Amino acid sequence: MKFKDYYEILDVSRTATIDEIKKSYKKLAHQYHPDVTKDPKGEEKFKEIGEAYATLKDKEKRAAYDDLGKHGAGEDFRPPPNWGGSNNGHGQGNPFGQYSQQNGQQNPYDDIDLADLFANFYTGKRQSQSRNQAMVGQDYELAASISLEDANIGTTLDLNFSVPEQDAQGLVKQVPHSFIARIPKGVTNSTKMLLRGKGGKGFNGGTTGNLYLNISFLPHKLFKVVEHDLFIDLPITPWEAALGTTVIVPTLQGVVNLKIPAGSKNGQKMRIIKRGMPKKNGEHGDLFAVIQLVMPPNLSDSERELLTKLKEISSFNPRAHFE
Amino acid sequence: MKTENTNRIWPDLIVLNEHHTLSFDELIALSGLSRTELQQLVENGALNPEHLIETSFKNTNISTWHFSSHHLVSVRQLSRLKRDFELESNSLSLILVFLERIRELEKQLQHLDGAN
Repeated sequence: MKFKDYYEILDVSRTATIDEIKKSYKKLAHQYHPDVTKDPKGEEKFKEIGEAYATLKDKEKRAAYDDLGKHGAGEDFRPPPNWGGSNNGHGQGNPFGQYSQQNGQQNPYDDIDLADLFANFYTGKRQSQSRNQAMVGQDYELAASISLEDANIGTTLDLNFSVPEQDAQGLVKQVPHSFIARIPKGVTNSTKMLLRGKGGKGFNGGTTGNLYLNISFLPHKLFKVVEHDLFIDLPITPWEAALGTTVIVPTLQGVVNLKIPAGSKNGQKMRIIKRGMPKKNGEHGDLFAVIQLVMPPNLSDSERELLTKLKEISSFNPRAHFE
Repeated sequence: MKTENTNRIWPDLIVLNEHHTLSFDELIALSGLSRTELQQLVENGALNPEHLIETSFKNTNISTWHFSSHHLVSVRQLSRLKRDFELESNSLSLILVFLERIRELEKQLQHLDGAN
């Protein structure tokens, strides 16, 4: 089992009072809570913080944790003999009895995570008290990314994940699951989906938790997506913008010919109706081609000559309003 | 370790958006908030039911609130914040209003981002 220094995680001393622990937890939660921070590592960091707080705020769990001794973070360790027994001063029996009673197993703590161990703290201790108390299973969230092309026609996702579950002996173990989820066409970026009854198992007749699937779109090399509308940058030359032209524009449903009117401006949006993402009601969003005026990187002699001539004969002053 | 339910297809996947509604009881079961807390959110105008469905049972009319399922996303977020920050119940309505406002502003920002 790998040691986690809960005091270090919460940035408090080993002699910190409960108020100091609470204060530090709240400060760190404001910094790393995934619903508050934009830090991509926030969720992982907050998981550690929450785990440390759940143990240290509870007097009995903290005493049992302290009995483990001081180790380096990430260091492999084994709890001392009789650890968690009735000798911890609380006289309520061994809360980890279910681990130490696994006969024939070399070291029952080998494949146990410290968090799972403390999540299991009261299972052995209060089994008789909680025997008739139904507990709802935990909810879990999964994130998956799909391409715009897949979102356009609907797809299936092969999902593999592990959730902590109690086995018949009451031990919390990571149990792998593998499912195929059908993603219907019409989902938008950041769609959340609910899979009822696919979360953690309930206890004592409690209902199973739920699983939430967060769908996001992979970045696309051509399109940006906003709800059901798509946006594409459409590069055209200044002379195409001035004189007008017809260009081929890619869409998710194949190419279309788009007429660019004479006198088009940089940044102007051309709407191509019903070429965006599908909606639930069978409709489609729109595709917006955003005109980007681009100059040739290198002018040929004849191009330079023509542009020089244009400069000489044109009376257009785009900065007239400065005067 | 044993793998369970390999290659099963989830048939009952619900997209949380304005096209799908949840009853009040479903919202209680899914949100992590209590009936009283959710009732307070509705009474304070922070959570607006989509419609009220009236059913008759043993000659008694029963009215049930139904909510657009996308509300579940913000209500669960509220529930997590309440749990992790140990918030008081009377602050929940205010927080939900701000969460919804942030969600709307982020959506508008996304539109502007796409358009520019």
